[in-house]
Amino acid sequence: MLESENIACRGKSVLRLLPCPLHWSSISLLALVCVLMCNAPIAAQTENHSTTAHDRVMTRSPFVIGFERFGKHGELPELQAGSLLIGELSCVNCHHSKDDWLQPKRGPRLNGVGNRLQQEWLRRYLSDPQVVKPGTTMPDVLSSLTVDQRAEAIDALVAFLSTQQQPFAVLKADGIAPVIHEFWKRGNRERGAEWYHSIGCVACHEPDADYETDEAKPSAIDELLEELDEEQIAELGLSAAARRVESIPHGDLPSKYTLRSLTMMLLDPSIVRPNSRMPSLRLTPQEAADIAAYLLGENVSNETGYENDQPLQQLIDRGRSLFVELRCANCHESTGVKDERQAKPLAQLDADARSSCFESPTADMARYHLDDAQRKAMLSILKGGVTPKRTASDAVSFRMLQLNCYGCHERGERGGVGRYRKAYFETVGHVDLGDEGRLPPSLTGVGRKLLPQALAAVFHPKTTPHRPYMTIRMPTYSADAVKPLLTQMAKADEVDRSKDDEVFSEPQSASIGREMVNTGCVQCHPFRGESLPGVVGIDLNDVTARVDPQWFHEFLFNPNELKNRTRMPTFFPNGKSNRPDLLEGNVDHQISAIWAYLKNLEKEPLPEKIEAARIANYELVPEERPIVLRTFMDAAGTHAIAVGFPAGVHYAFDAEHVRLAIAWKGRFLDARGTWFERFAPPAQPLGEQLVNFPLGPPFRADDPREYQFRGYRLDSKGVPTLLYKYGDLLIEDRIEPNGDTGLKRTLTIAADSSDAGVLLRAHAGKKLVATGSRAYKNDGGLMVTVSESLARAGTLQQSDDQQEWLVPLLIKDHMTIELEYQWRIAR
Amino acid sequence: MENRSLITTILILLPCVTVMGADENDYYRLISVSTASAATESRSKNWKPAPDGLALEISGMDFLDDGRLAVAIRKGDVWILDGVYDDPPSNVTYNKFATALHEPLGLLQLDGDLYTTQRSELTRLRDLDGDDVADEYLTVAKGWGVTGHYHEYAYGPKLDGDGDLWITLNIGLGLKGPELKRALPNAALGYRQGRWRGWGMKVTSTGELVPVCAGMRSPAGLGANADGDMFYTDQQGNWVATNSLHHMRPGVFFHHAEALASMNEPGSTIHDVEKVPGGLPLPQALKEFKQLRPPAVWFPYKKMGQSATDIMLDESDGKFGPFAGQLFVGEFTQAGINRVFLEKVDGEYQGACFPFRLGLASAVLRMVQGADGSMFIGLTNRGWSSLGDASYGLQRLVWTGQTPLEIKEMRAQPDGFELLFTLPVDPKTAGDVTSYRMTSYTYLYHSTYGSDEIQVETPTITAAEVSEDRLRVRLRVDGLRELFVHELVAAGVRGESGQALLHPEAYYTLNRIPTGQTR
Repeated sequence: MLESENIACRGKSVLRLLPCPLHWSSISLLALVCVLMCNAPIAAQTENHSTTAHDRVMTRSPFVIGFERFGKHGELPELQAGSLLIGELSCVNCHHSKDDWLQPKRGPRLNGVGNRLQQEWLRRYLSDPQVVKPGTTMPDVLSSLTVDQRAEAIDALVAFLSTQQQPFAVLKADGIAPVIHEFWKRGNRERGAEWYHSIGCVACHEPDADYETDEAKPSAIDELLEELDEEQIAELGLSAAARRVESIPHGDLPSKYTLRSLTMMLLDPSIVRPNSRMPSLRLTPQEAADIAAYLLGENVSNETGYENDQPLQQLIDRGRSLFVELRCANCHESTGVKDERQAKPLAQLDADARSSCFESPTADMARYHLDDAQRKAMLSILKGGVTPKRTASDAVSFRMLQLNCYGCHERGERGGVGRYRKAYFETVGHVDLGDEGRLPPSLTGVGRKLLPQALAAVFHPKTTPHRPYMTIRMPTYSADAVKPLLTQMAKADEVDRSKDDEVFSEPQSASIGREMVNTGCVQCHPFRGESLPGVVGIDLNDVTARVDPQWFHEFLFNPNELKNRTRMPTFFPNGKSNRPDLLEGNVDHQISAIWAYLKNLEKEPLPEKIEAARIANYELVPEERPIVLRTFMDAAGTHAIAVGFPAGVHYAFDAEHVRLAIAWKGRFLDARGTWFERFAPPAQPLGEQLVNFPLGPPFRADDPREYQFRGYRLDSKGVPTLLYKYGDLLIEDRIEPNGDTGLKRTLTIAADSSDAGVLLRAHAGKKLVATGSRAYKNDGGLMVTVSESLARAGTLQQSDDQQEWLVPLLIKDHMTIELEYQWRIAR
Repeated sequence: MENRSLITTILILLPCVTVMGADENDYYRLISVSTASAATESRSKNWKPAPDGLALEISGMDFLDDGRLAVAIRKGDVWILDGVYDDPPSNVTYNKFATALHEPLGLLQLDGDLYTTQRSELTRLRDLDGDDVADEYLTVAKGWGVTGHYHEYAYGPKLDGDGDLWITLNIGLGLKGPELKRALPNAALGYRQGRWRGWGMKVTSTGELVPVCAGMRSPAGLGANADGDMFYTDQQGNWVATNSLHHMRPGVFFHHAEALASMNEPGSTIHDVEKVPGGLPLPQALKEFKQLRPPAVWFPYKKMGQSATDIMLDESDGKFGPFAGQLFVGEFTQAGINRVFLEKVDGEYQGACFPFRLGLASAVLRMVQGADGSMFIGLTNRGWSSLGDASYGLQRLVWTGQTPLEIKEMRAQPDGFELLFTLPVDPKTAGDVTSYRMTSYTYLYHSTYGSDEIQVETPTITAAEVSEDRLRVRLRVDGLRELFVHELVAAGVRGESGQALLHPEAYYTLNRIPTGQTR
């Protein structure tokens, strides 16, 4: 567990902590300060711990967040409160019990403790856990030893633990996962402070009072609380909401960790702490290093202290047997130790014993430093006898207490981000979305809302966040850790699951759904990554795969009914549709149509308004001058040069095969794929009247000649003239609209010497039909017109599969040819 | 929506915050000319430029004779920027010079015209009437295969000492559908690639496209050294064990076997490869594959970056600090820049690489040196991932005038190495063999993605002799191995004022152990 009020390391003012209401008593705080600040040897301090009464003053009790926040204030059923403590304090590791709820949290794995934690810290910690790490759930197992025995035991245990060495995980790096060499040395404290205060650490741990959050509108509930006095708060049942939530302490981290070990712990806490109380916050290596740098401050240690110190084998062996004898092994995994030493089973414990782990421990009992409330709650379980029946709802809330889901999420009027912490929960870019846009969602009724696979996905490390606009991150948990939530949530929320074809028994057309969402949804929601400018919200792309259809129906019908104070407006005020023109205003049918549209969103066109916004960004619209785009096109190949004209007639030239490839009318092209998509998809003509030009180049000769594309030149109006060579002939090819009905092509040929061996391929097709005296139309609907003189010289030539209109050219030094293209393609 | 000036301000401030350990910023200061966060992740299908317009995803850069900076951007424009030397750069102007280029990945100014390589051709951009807008887009060379696969990037051009232009062509990665129809028919060894994919090409002053060398995977950077010899960088992946720097010369094969698809094309300089060995340690693979040549420098993965990009020669004669004449190599994923020292042993280049600078705002794709010696750095990370807070932009790296204590050169010797430092070292620590740690390793030559360091050993440093001027240390080493990377960490060496090395690491690719004195 981490802690932030770590007085010694960050040099924060101690006074800052004193005024905190409901913090531990000022006396214990001062005592702690004394301990941490004085340089007296630890042994001397532990000597002072001779009476129980003194202990209560000097040390804190174990900190179990669910109990501190709710149990202490009578907000948990007795059964939950006591069970929670027994589990979190791992009682059952020694005092066997089969009761599900009492199963132990267990301590961290110690297999790698020898290269993770600092030797000196470990020594001090073992000598008095609750003083060195206030709030720890580890008991003092040496409490009944004499001072000398204790010192000897610590030497032996530390010697044994120094042998627990385990290499750190090696992180996978590739083109999409940057991992800098020795990244743990490259943390940045300022950035670490930002991460710490924005991504969720302070949902459980103490924020730095000096950290300035960006200005955010206070939460509505907090605003209300500010206005009320205590009595009114109690009357309104807001006592829990008004209470400052205590922070899970993280102890003296700089004395405990090295930069590397803390960075690696943050990156994947489950390696050392499989109990999931500290979850992974999906950190990148760099973020973990930044946070570690922030938490450790300036006095960073890169060594554990074991490095140059080889303890005697005898001492190690003694430590290993003590590790078992003192029952350390019951809670902590270590390498080479399998034995455990059980104590009396839980059911046989005497709740009224004069001497116990609770009170005045003797012999081999552990000392827990419990406070009165904790003792009372745990005793109620020991005295409890028959275990009452537990519901699915109990199972869910119990696991949420253990994992402190309540630190962020409200469910059933319990928990949620505590008062004074909400300022750390921000919306990316400070867009005002209200509390919904910055605080984790309420989980009341979530079993009804989310489909089982969607609920499971929430915990998965690979799932991308559904609310990317929140700075807070949903931590990851293994399926095992959240099993009670996955298996019991639906039952707890009394879900009567229906399939969508049952809920929407009369399927409606997706295109009407598209029109529906265009009316309202697009104002606040992106659709498969696209949105209106400035819109921030949950993407509706996979919503039908995530939410229950019945819930969807009810939520759309009346959002406030299912979600208190939501900003989602209803589009069916008083049960009547805003769009009476669609589906005769039938509300059920309209919601059904929206479902149908969203279900097929991957394939459906975007909502019209979003499509229009997208076009404004990426569609090339020639207004005053032509627009050129070099790209890939299906019809013009991978060397395509597309040219769009204000007149609304466009063409694409294939510069590889040196031919005019395709022409079309209306809208030109969308450049997004060419400009910004990694996989470089071919650009598709947006307009209509697409006409493919005959395959093959514009000229032919009997002698072998090669085409060489040479680029293009833009004139003062931006019209390109394509340049190429055919053998020694220099050709300039200018293609432009002929009014708005077709294209006019001017071929200018320059030759060094007179050349009579070239034929113009004026047209080609499976079948050419003469249209007047100087035009032919092919089977593709393309008509080519040439000058009368060329027409007179031209002949039709039939080959195996096509007819070509060939015109022999007599080129002296210079020649200009004009061709007109016209087409009208029936749709 | 975010406002550009705010973003720029934040990014200007970022390098000022303390980074733990030695601080590169004390010696080389970053100035953000223009950087912008993208609204979406660099790998998102819906990636969008920042809403303020110009997507300055710099893919090519060069200076015009009047001192203005021309930049090519990935969406296909060339812009001319003025005011880039201002500090702070508050009055930069942008003028669109050319447009409609197909993913240009280089820019070179030559005799007043700009040259760029598009996916399908090398293009010369000419402004005929002096209005700072290109009028002619002339095809200088084309003819390499473009099947339509996205990975078939084309880079360059860069100019060598003979006045020839060089370009490099990415290999395609698994062609599909219509792409296969554009692959070379009857390609050698049955590989399916477009013509000259994975080759280094030269374009002579008469416009002839000449294939020179082959076996490239993703040759995103090329550049000449001070002698005018042309180099390229490759990126870890299939057949490529880790990032590397290679000397391009005729008939040489580097890594990626599928480049052999063009072996039988007219003009090919590689002949008679019948079988490509796979799964062998590099020294053995070199014996079995006679056209295969080791890189001049390996960049060990993670330690020296994850994706090498541009090559920039420091021609500033000291205006950019103590590394005049050396090469700088861009690093994409880690948003940084590395440094390379090269020497010739038995007529072949080999040498060492060193960390130089991290902490750029995004992936480094292009670098060019300004007239004042400062380095202009073009950034873009779209499609992959990088460190840094921006998706694209332009930053400038300025030497502060403070000389960092660095290993400037690492030279191979018959019995070890000679180190040259940028500043005099403390003879006690520098003369102590325990101040150094050396390991050596090689890689597997195989078709899978990247290679671990294999056959790792720890050569013994038997002596460290400090020269009289305290600038050089001669390391005598037992256990040198040819064709192995020799990694040196000189963590214990101190400068005269007790300072540690800014970067204690050096990685020497010891292809050949010199037999005589090399200097």
